[in-house]
Amino acid sequence: MAKISYRQALNDALHLEMARDPKVIMMGEDLTGGAGANGVKDAWGGPFGVTRGLLGAFGPERVRDTPISETAFVGAAAGAALTGMRPIAELMFVDFAGVCLDQIVNQIAKFRYMFGGHARTPLVIRATFGAGTRSAAQHTQAFYPVFTHFPGLKVVIPSNPYDAKGLLLQAIRDDDPVIFLEHKMLYDMVGEVPDGAYTVPFGEARVVRDGNDVLLIAFGRMVQVAEEAARKLASEGVSACVIDPRTTSPLDEDTLLEFTEEIGRVVIIDEANPRCGMAADISALLADKCFHALKAPIKMVTAPHSPVPYAPNLEDAYVPNADAVIKAVKSII
Amino acid sequence: MSIEAITIPKWGMTMTEGLLAEWMVAVGDRIERGQEIMEVESTKTTNAVESPVSGTLRRIVVPEGDTAPVGALVAVVADDSATDEDIDAFIAQFASSIKQDADEESGAVAAKKIDVGDGTVINALVIGPESENTVVLLHGFGGDLSTWMFNQDALAKDFRVLALDLPGHGASTPISGGDVLGSLTDAVEKAIDSLAKGKLHLVAHSFGGAVAAALTERKGEAVASLSLLAPIGLSTSINKLFLDDFVTAERRRPLKEVLERLFADPSKISNDMVEATLQFKRLEGVPAALGAIKDVIANEQGQVQSITATLSKFSGPVLLIWGERDEIVPMPTESEIPQNVILNILPSVGHMPQMESTAEVNRLLVENIAKAK
Repeated sequence: MAKISYRQALNDALHLEMARDPKVIMMGEDLTGGAGANGVKDAWGGPFGVTRGLLGAFGPERVRDTPISETAFVGAAAGAALTGMRPIAELMFVDFAGVCLDQIVNQIAKFRYMFGGHARTPLVIRATFGAGTRSAAQHTQAFYPVFTHFPGLKVVIPSNPYDAKGLLLQAIRDDDPVIFLEHKMLYDMVGEVPDGAYTVPFGEARVVRDGNDVLLIAFGRMVQVAEEAARKLASEGVSACVIDPRTTSPLDEDTLLEFTEEIGRVVIIDEANPRCGMAADISALLADKCFHALKAPIKMVTAPHSPVPYAPNLEDAYVPNADAVIKAVKSII
Repeated sequence: MSIEAITIPKWGMTMTEGLLAEWMVAVGDRIERGQEIMEVESTKTTNAVESPVSGTLRRIVVPEGDTAPVGALVAVVADDSATDEDIDAFIAQFASSIKQDADEESGAVAAKKIDVGDGTVINALVIGPESENTVVLLHGFGGDLSTWMFNQDALAKDFRVLALDLPGHGASTPISGGDVLGSLTDAVEKAIDSLAKGKLHLVAHSFGGAVAAALTERKGEAVASLSLLAPIGLSTSINKLFLDDFVTAERRRPLKEVLERLFADPSKISNDMVEATLQFKRLEGVPAALGAIKDVIANEQGQVQSITATLSKFSGPVLLIWGERDEIVPMPTESEIPQNVILNILPSVGHMPQMESTAEVNRLLVENIAKAK
């Protein structure tokens, strides 16, 4: 087992699955250097280096640069999926889903339901998300609560290299549309990843760290924040359990309920804005299903109800950090 | 006067330090060898540590809540004839000796991949001094070389130790159909030939017992001793439901429930152990390989393999260790155990004696191997 980056783990998954299944194709802006551009092809491996080498291995028929129109290429990918291909559409920033939201929520998410179960849409929309890169309010949103809201979409948020590879392979092989969200600040994260193919099932939370005083629930980059808080709490004699649900839809309710029943104190860490976010959603679930087991109020640590600021000091203050988690924990123990 | 060191144990390749989570004894207490005296936490597991010696706990060097490197002195056990000055001198001398050791090795030990041909790669760990005696550790069905994490260092004090992942397990290549046990033994034999010299001392757990028996048939006198922990092949009864459930469990909760059946005390199963097993089972080719090996172990009538004849005619020492509460491979009856075999039954232990009763198992293994050395 080699130690590789989150970026490389995603790249490995794309190479493995495109080699295994000729029906897998990719579409997006600047996957290989830009549609119609005359420069060197695949010089950057895509805007974040995730699609490196795919053009050389699989050719321009299967790895397609598109014009700058999310409506067009996400729609084309949806049509390709309906006719039997397994397309992967890449949104450079998830914020751009704004211009193709009709394709995603009114078409892609509804096909199976509206065609009486006869239509399959094996489509993956990969997109970067999250704050921390000084990219301002239109390129840094968390956005996953929006997709989670709509039935018919699966929503996946890998927090580490191992999960990135296994969840992407599962996403491509899945017969339903999957929104696959990659946090920009995690691309350089390194971890042990098996060389061969494997899949991580959806709706299966990972117990990141055992503990019995407080339960920390976190997604994506916030898993690192929760782990940092747990380490600091451990040195103060507080034992924190960390759980990463890995997918927001489907959500592994069983594991969240099981550990809440056992531990009784819960802090949910969510990089999204607080209203109608995953923290609020999971709080409601736990309050409804295991109120009797709670020893203290459920605490939510989220971004404020504000756009992501461009000023570096404000952006840093916007993103939940370990100190905020520790403060929330101390308020309930 | 004897003064003995209690140190942070090394569990597995990547462990470099341990957190002293709890002292179960206090200074002045009389402690017996094999008694649980402290709980140590690594990044991967937490386990109670049994005292390797008997005596009075004279000094605690590392208090609860502190972290210390592997091999660091955490407490001193001595008889009452030792003075406080003797203890102080022992601690000072220990501190200087461990510093030298630390300079020599960098803590974490790396496993290596051995290409044994036909596209098969065996993942192996070699530790301990150069020696004409190599202890070969063979894990059971569904396990990997980390089965021996509480034992490998105790053995490596005196012997060369070679722990391997069997094909289809850990980081070794999955096997495919055909003669499963035969091709698996081929691969293990080639890995041993390239890594071990001199006499072989086979230490095997559960399904590994059948591999050890097959190797003994092939290697003849090169095998000097056999130490088998709850091996298959001595009776026909086996918990086949465990094998079936282990192969089919794909998620955390069902797999945790299956793994808990291995131990007399199910709380020994940590979520990290479950996650590591899940990661292994998710690899492409592994479920098929496990299914094939399962069919070699048992069918609807019970166990398929027999190692009785191999053990009966073996001229070296044969040690058998069984947990009294083993619910996976039940202990054979007296008549099923060959005359030349010495059976040790461990109370309050399930199917994993090497992890459940570490100090006692390590003592028995060293004793058996020394007989043939």
